[in-house]
Amino acid sequence: MMRFTQFVVDFLRAGFTGGILYWCWMLFLAFFIMLWGYGEYVQIANGMIVTNLNDQVSWGFYLANFVFMVGVAAAAVTVVFPAYVYKHKELHRIVILGEMLAIAAVVMCLLFVIAHMGRPDRLWHILPVIGIFNWPHAMLTWDVIVLSGYLLLNIIGGFYYLYKKYAGTEVNKTFYLTIVYIAIVWALSIHTVTAFLINTMPARPMWFHSVMPIKFITTAFAAGPSLIIIVFLLVRRFTPMKIADEAFHLLSQIVVWCLGIALFLTMSEIVTELYPATEHSLGLQYLMFGHNGLNSLVPYFWTALTLMVVSFVLLLIPRLRKNLTLLPFICAAAFIGIWIEKGMGLMLPGVIPTPIGEFAEYTPSHIELMVVGGVWAIGFFLLTFMLKGAVAVLLGEVSYQPRAGKQPVSSEQGEATI
Amino acid sequence: MPNQEKSKEKDSKLTTRRDFLRGAGNYTVASLSGAAMLLSNPKPAKANVTWAEHFQKNYRLMTEEEKQEAIERLETRYSEEYGQKVTVDGTPSIDGVLFGYALNIQKCIGCRRCVKACVAENNQSRGDEQQIEWIRVLRMEKGNFSAEDRDQHGYPESFGVQVGGNAYKPAGVVLEGQHYYEPDQVPEKDAFYFPMQCMQCEKPPCVKVCPVRTTYRDPDGIVVVDYNWCIGCRMCIGACPYWARRFNWGEPNLPKEELNPHTHYLGNRPRMKGVVEKCTYCVQRTRKGRWTACVEVCPVGARKFGNLLDPNSEIRKVLAKKKVFRLRADLNTYPKFFYFMD
Amino acid sequence: MMTSYRNYLSIMGLCLLAILSIKPALGAELPQNSECFESRDGMSQVNVHDTATGVVNVKCSPDTGGVLWWGDPFEGTIPMGDMEVEADYWHEEAVVKPREPQIDRNKMLTICGMACHNGVYVPIPYNKDPRPLKMHLDIIPDAMNLKHGKGSVWCLDCHHLVDRTKLIDNFGYSVSFNQPQKLCGKCHGQVYRSWRDGIHGKRIGMWDKGGKKRWWVCTECHNPHDVEQGDRNSGYAQLAPEPAPNLPKGMTNADHERMHHGPSKSESLH
Repeated sequence: MMRFTQFVVDFLRAGFTGGILYWCWMLFLAFFIMLWGYGEYVQIANGMIVTNLNDQVSWGFYLANFVFMVGVAAAAVTVVFPAYVYKHKELHRIVILGEMLAIAAVVMCLLFVIAHMGRPDRLWHILPVIGIFNWPHAMLTWDVIVLSGYLLLNIIGGFYYLYKKYAGTEVNKTFYLTIVYIAIVWALSIHTVTAFLINTMPARPMWFHSVMPIKFITTAFAAGPSLIIIVFLLVRRFTPMKIADEAFHLLSQIVVWCLGIALFLTMSEIVTELYPATEHSLGLQYLMFGHNGLNSLVPYFWTALTLMVVSFVLLLIPRLRKNLTLLPFICAAAFIGIWIEKGMGLMLPGVIPTPIGEFAEYTPSHIELMVVGGVWAIGFFLLTFMLKGAVAVLLGEVSYQPRAGKQPVSSEQGEATI
Repeated sequence: MPNQEKSKEKDSKLTTRRDFLRGAGNYTVASLSGAAMLLSNPKPAKANVTWAEHFQKNYRLMTEEEKQEAIERLETRYSEEYGQKVTVDGTPSIDGVLFGYALNIQKCIGCRRCVKACVAENNQSRGDEQQIEWIRVLRMEKGNFSAEDRDQHGYPESFGVQVGGNAYKPAGVVLEGQHYYEPDQVPEKDAFYFPMQCMQCEKPPCVKVCPVRTTYRDPDGIVVVDYNWCIGCRMCIGACPYWARRFNWGEPNLPKEELNPHTHYLGNRPRMKGVVEKCTYCVQRTRKGRWTACVEVCPVGARKFGNLLDPNSEIRKVLAKKKVFRLRADLNTYPKFFYFMD
Repeated sequence: MMTSYRNYLSIMGLCLLAILSIKPALGAELPQNSECFESRDGMSQVNVHDTATGVVNVKCSPDTGGVLWWGDPFEGTIPMGDMEVEADYWHEEAVVKPREPQIDRNKMLTICGMACHNGVYVPIPYNKDPRPLKMHLDIIPDAMNLKHGKGSVWCLDCHHLVDRTKLIDNFGYSVSFNQPQKLCGKCHGQVYRSWRDGIHGKRIGMWDKGGKKRWWVCTECHNPHDVEQGDRNSGYAQLAPEPAPNLPKGMTNADHERMHHGPSKSESLH
C-alpha cells in the first residue's frame, strides 16, 4: 500500500515536471480550462439557452465532438492490437502511451456528454441502483456501460503495467493480457455503440443506415492514429523516449487504409442517397449543396472532403508516407478533415431538416465554443501529464526506492522533457 | 454553505420534517449533484425548491403515499411562487379508456387557435426569449401544373437529355410544409393545413430511447414525462419522428397572471429549465372527463377526441365511417392520432 | 340576457327604449379582451368574466379576438331539449347555446317580432320569385347577396312565411333559430347524420360517456346567407390566423421556405 501511494506521488511529480516550454504549454491549456469552467458555470446557471441549440437543432457542437472523441478513444486499439496480437515489437514498447491517449479521450467524451445534458445535477438518475438504468432498451445506457468500462479497462491496464514497472516487479501476464484483449474488443464496442446511438433512429434518415458503425470505425482508425502519430512524434522529439520509425510506418499504413475505406463508404453513401434523391436525402443535400440559400455547412463539407482526399492520396505514396517530417502535417490534415466530417458534418445534417421538414441553421454560441475548447484543453492537459509520467516510468527515471521515499526527477531530465 | 442551507430550511417551512430528513438521507449519495443544483439555481425565487424534491424517486415508482407527498410539495411551492392557489392533480389512468385523437385535415383552416389554446392550458414558456408550442401547423401548398413548365426543368438539368419534367409546383407534398405562414386571412385559396403534435404512439420511439425511463406510456395510452426525473439528454427529441417534443432551454417564462392553476403532475404543472416536455392530451383535463383545450377551441370542429375502447365514442365513429390515415405508418410507431377527410 | 329572449313580451318596453337609445353594435370593434367570438366573427360573441370557480369563462386572443380557451364550456347554454333527433345523446346531458340572443344583439327579433312579424301584419308574398327586400336592407347584411343554393332557394324556403322570428321545417311548422339543424338537415342529410354522430361540427365539455356536452349548431359556424364564401366555395368564412411561431434561434427569416414553393425557376436541386 505504501508502495502504491508512493507510485501515485511520484507519478504526479513526474507528470508535472518540465521545462519552460512545458509550463507555457500547460498554462496555455489552463487558460482554456478556465474558459471551460466559466462556460459551464454560465450554462448551468442559465440553462442551455446560452447555447445556440434550439428545438429544431437540439443536438449540436457538444455531441459532434463527443462522437468524434469516442472514435479517438477507440483508436488506441490501433496501437494495442498490433502490439499484442501481431507481437509488433516497436509498438509494444509504446503501447502504454496509446492507453494514456484513450484515457484522456474518454474523459473528454464524458465531459462533452455532461455539457450536452440539460440537467447535469441529475446525473445520478442514470446510475444503476440509485437511479434507473433503462437497460437494455435505451442505447444511451449501452453507451454509458461501454464508455465507463473502456475508461476503467484502460486505467486498470495502463496503470497496472506502469505500477509494476515502477515497482520493478513482474507483470502478472494472465491478468494483464486478459485486460488487454478485453480492451481490444471493448474499443470496437465503444464506437459501434456510439454509432448505434444515432443510427437507430428512423426519425433521422441521414443517420438511419447500417454503414454507420463501420464508417465510424474506419474514420476513427484514420483520425485516431493520425493523432497518435503526431503525439508520438512529439514524445520522440521532446522526451528521451525512443520510438522506432517502424512504429510510425505501421500507424501511417493503418491511417491510409482506413481513410481509403472511409472515403469509399462516404462515396457509397452519397451515391445511394443522391441518385434517387428522396426526401430522406435532404440532410445530405443540405450538407453538400445547401438549401435555398441556407448553406453555412457547404464550405465545411467540401473542405473536409478535400482534406481527406488529399491526405489519402499523399499517404498512398510510400515516399511521402515514410517522410516523418511531412507525415505530421498530412496526419493533421486527415485529422481535421475527419473532425469536420464526422463531427458537425454528421451531427447537423442529421437534425436539419427536422423530421417535419423544417430547415434552421445553427452555429455554436460563444459559450459552446468555450466549453468545447476547454474540454479539448482538459484532454491535452491530461494527456501531456500522463504521457510525461508514463514516459518517466517506462524509462525507469522514476522507480520505487524502498527507503529513500521521495525521489525527485533529476533536473537534467526536466530540461530534456517538454 | 451552512448559511445557505439554513435559509433553505426556513424557506421550506411548509415541507414536512420527514421530507427534509429523507432528502438529507440522500445527501451522501448525491452530494455532488446537490452542489451543482445550488449553482444552477441562483435566483432567490427558486430557492424554496426543497431538497426533498431534488432527491425524490421517479414518479412511476413512488408509492401512493410518496406521490401524495410529492404533489403536496409542489402545490406548496407553486402556490408560493405564483401567488395563488395552484392545485397539482395526480389522477391515474381511467380503467377501460385508451385515448385517441382524429383530425379532419379537410376542415382545418390553419388559424393556429389550437396552438395558442394549448399554451394557455398547459403553462408553456412564452415570449421572445423562449417560446414553446406543442402544436405546429404546417401549410401545404395545394400545388399546380402549368403548360410553361411542361417541357422545362427536368432532371438532370443541363446535361442535355431530359429525364422527367417539372410541370408542377409542390402539390401537397407531405412534410414539405411551411411553418411560418402569416396571411391576413386563412384559409388561403392555394393551401391546406396540417397540424402536428404528439401522436401518443402505441410504440413510442421516444420512450424506448430514454435512458432513465422518465418518459413512459401510461395505461390510457398517453406518453407522459416526469419532469423531475428528466436528465435533459434529448435522446427522445432525436428519436421522435413527429418533432413533437420540446426542451426548456432556459428557465421557462410563465407570467403569474397567465398561469393555469389547475395542473397535473404529469401534465401542465410549471416546468423547470433543462427538461423535455410534450403534448399530454391535456391529461389534467381528459382524465377528469373534459375535452382537451385544442379540441374545444377549434373553430371549425376539425378535432375529435375520445375513448378508442368505446365503440360509441366519436373517435370510434370517425374510424368506422371515415377514411383515416396515420402519419409515417411505415415506422411502426402506431400513433393514436389519426388524420381524416370528409 | 339569457332570459330576455324568452320573456320578451314582459320586457318589450325596456327593449324598445334600448333600441332607441343604443346604437346596434353588430360586429363593432371589440373592447380589449372583454368580448371575443367563438367561430363566426360577429355572430358568436361571448363576454369575458370570472366564473364561480375562480377562472375566467373564456380567454380571448389578443391578436385576433377569437376565443382561445374555455374555462366554462357550458356558460349560457340551455338543454338541447325537444330536439327530435335520434342521436345517442339521450344518455347524456346535451346542451346548446341558444342562437336567438346572438341574432337579437341588435334587438331585431325582440322588436320586429312584436311590431310587424308576429304572424298578422306581414304581407304574404304572391309567389316565390326572388326579389329585393323592400325593407331592412340595413339590418340584414346579406339580404342582397344570398349565396346559398345557387339561386334555387330563397328567403322563405327557410324563414317562416309570416312569423319572421322563426324558421320552418318541411311541413311549414315553425322552427326556432336555436335549432337550425332541423331546417338545414332537410337538404344536408349526410352532414346532418355526421353531426349527430359527433363527426361533423363541434362539441365541447366532457368527452366521456354520459358527460355533459355542449353541441354547436349549424349557424354557429356557417353563415346560412353566404355558405359559398365566394370563389372558395367553402362553408366557413375566413379568419385572421394567430401569430406564427417564433423563428428558430439564429434565423432572421423563413424565406427559404417560400423559395421552395415559389416559381420553378428558383428551384435548385430538388
